[in-house]
Amino acid sequence: MHWIALQPGAQNQTAAAAPPASGLPDVWSALAWWALQFTPRVVRLEDALLLEVSGSERLWGGRAGLRQLLFEEKKPPVAVRHAYGATSLAAKARLLPGLLQTPAPELPLAALAAARPHLATLAALGCTRWGELRALPRAGVARRFGAPLLQALDQACGQGPDSYPWLLLPEVFEARLELAAQVETAPALLFGARRLLEQLQYWLQLRQQAVLALVLCWTMDARRDTASQGELLLRCAEPSCDTAHLQRLLAEHLARISLPAPVLYLQLRSVETLPRVGHSVSLLPEAQRPGDSLQQLLERLAARLGQPQVLQWSPRADHRPERMQLWQAASNAAVLMAQEASRSGPGGCPGGTAPSTGPAIDLASCPAWLLAMPQRLAVRQGRPLYPDPLTLLAGPQRLEAGWWDPGPSALRDYYVARSSRSGLLWVYRERLDPSSPGLDLAPRWYLHGVFG
Amino acid sequence: MTSSPKPGEPWLAGLGEAVWRADALGGTPGATLSSGHLALDQVLPGGGWPLDALSEVLQPPGLHGEWRLLLPVLLRLQQTGSGALVLVGPPHVPFGPALQAQGLAVQRLLWVNPSQMQACLWAAEQALRCAGVLAVLAWLPQALRVRPEQLRRLQLAAQSYGKPLFAMRPAQAQGESSPAVLRLLLAPLPGQPAGQAQGSDGLQLQVLKRRGPPLAEPLQLAGRQGRLVAGLSVGLALATQSAPPG
Repeated sequence: MHWIALQPGAQNQTAAAAPPASGLPDVWSALAWWALQFTPRVVRLEDALLLEVSGSERLWGGRAGLRQLLFEEKKPPVAVRHAYGATSLAAKARLLPGLLQTPAPELPLAALAAARPHLATLAALGCTRWGELRALPRAGVARRFGAPLLQALDQACGQGPDSYPWLLLPEVFEARLELAAQVETAPALLFGARRLLEQLQYWLQLRQQAVLALVLCWTMDARRDTASQGELLLRCAEPSCDTAHLQRLLAEHLARISLPAPVLYLQLRSVETLPRVGHSVSLLPEAQRPGDSLQQLLERLAARLGQPQVLQWSPRADHRPERMQLWQAASNAAVLMAQEASRSGPGGCPGGTAPSTGPAIDLASCPAWLLAMPQRLAVRQGRPLYPDPLTLLAGPQRLEAGWWDPGPSALRDYYVARSSRSGLLWVYRERLDPSSPGLDLAPRWYLHGVFG
Repeated sequence: MTSSPKPGEPWLAGLGEAVWRADALGGTPGATLSSGHLALDQVLPGGGWPLDALSEVLQPPGLHGEWRLLLPVLLRLQQTGSGALVLVGPPHVPFGPALQAQGLAVQRLLWVNPSQMQACLWAAEQALRCAGVLAVLAWLPQALRVRPEQLRRLQLAAQSYGKPLFAMRPAQAQGESSPAVLRLLLAPLPGQPAGQAQGSDGLQLQVLKRRGPPLAEPLQLAGRQGRLVAGLSVGLALATQSAPPG
């Protein structure tokens, strides 16, 4: 067993009064959260924080490696004094000034909490150190001073068990931060939120969780005659434990919020978390590509541009070109990433969704670009203009569909036309329903696609 | 394309590939992938599109030759890797069934359509930084007024993340300076009498900038093949037999 005792340094009082800006209620929690990174066995005993590290020493590269990590690389959030010991009470006793290297039997009894009520009597007996008290007959000590002192002494010398209720992190992450200055604009809240996210990262790491939804709440100046609270729900499509990604998402959302009054306090709370699932990485270096995951990209694009601006494709069973496909908000990164499973051959219809009779239009001779709305073309002497008269090269391909839908059905003759400026175009002439009035009108031409 | 050292410079021979001769095509530091067009491959350094850099395709307004030019390389990219092809701000709706008929896995396209044009550059850069993206196609119209330093930023992102970025820009931009390693100018093939369907659809391609000596004469990209051409010739045959409709 190897114990490390920590005590917030000389500025203890001032530090406790004004906790470090980490969103935690006091200096002890900040220290405990920090310490929990290195070992799961952390306990607060009176005015010291005790860490039992023998179980995790190997992970951090041995005792020396761990000490270097603790006190030089990942420094504690507040200035601390520290001491080591084979038992918790010995480590704690060595925190007293001047005792850092003292062997356990030489430690003063004053450093043992259980002995403090009996210090005067013990001194009269000539006992001032642990070793001297242990040398006394146990039965006599138990009769005169009670069993607790003997138990404490056993524990301090490694004869009794060192068992404590270990500190645990809360089930739900919740941290509050008082802002150093009033914040007037929502994007500036990010600076405060970043500190809370750092804290969240500790929490996620220690509880082995990944976050699915978060709420950032802010409390506004109550003297203004406006709402005093505001909140922002941040939801990810897949559990994330990457606070850099969360921070970017938060920045995109905050950029669109306007605050009615200055903000004084911030609070971050986890709403939904899932156990973290590790993902395997390739052993071979070339298989690892740098960058974010596609899901993160989708979330970031949707957060800034809006969900309807980020689209992925799905086929539809219809003969009308504009309804053969649906571009819908992209949410499924797995489809985008998938190495293709099945694809019908060139000219075939999209797997399983097209009508069984086959497409009415030969897809291989369709253009790659479709106009969002067919564009009406002017007509001169029966020839469509765009802006010069078009030369019809191929066609017609007749389409008659959509009669089952309310509204006018699609009665069209598609032609491939050549324009002097834009290359090949896909135009159609609208055939009129024989029953409709206006049959004697000149045929209307529309531009529907560009071959390029 | 490296030429043998001249007899007077024996010390150059020992250096081999480390020396670049100004009359040869530049050695490409990055990987390339064949463009699928034989004539184009022959003039591109490394024999194809650079895979970790910005390539610009300049087109006059109304011409949309990008699919014809890029489809072969996009198909190859999709076959070799997994990931999405990102289209940023395309001018029209991509017609999935037709692209699928030409072999593209349309399910793996991601169409980003920013409502503000300035967001195009941002979206393109974000896509380049993503590991799950194969290539980015960005349409940067004239109204966007792209500055060279913005393109430089995209070029750096493409380079550091090893992704090809194809930027479609207007033909007016050919006078501006650009950090792209490859700039191509597309134009309709001139001087074709009307009615010649086979030849009329070809594209003229001019290499404005490449890693190597400038290319004086433009290339010709063959017209489209396959069923469309067959359909066109059938249509023409019909059109010559009967009077044109309308």
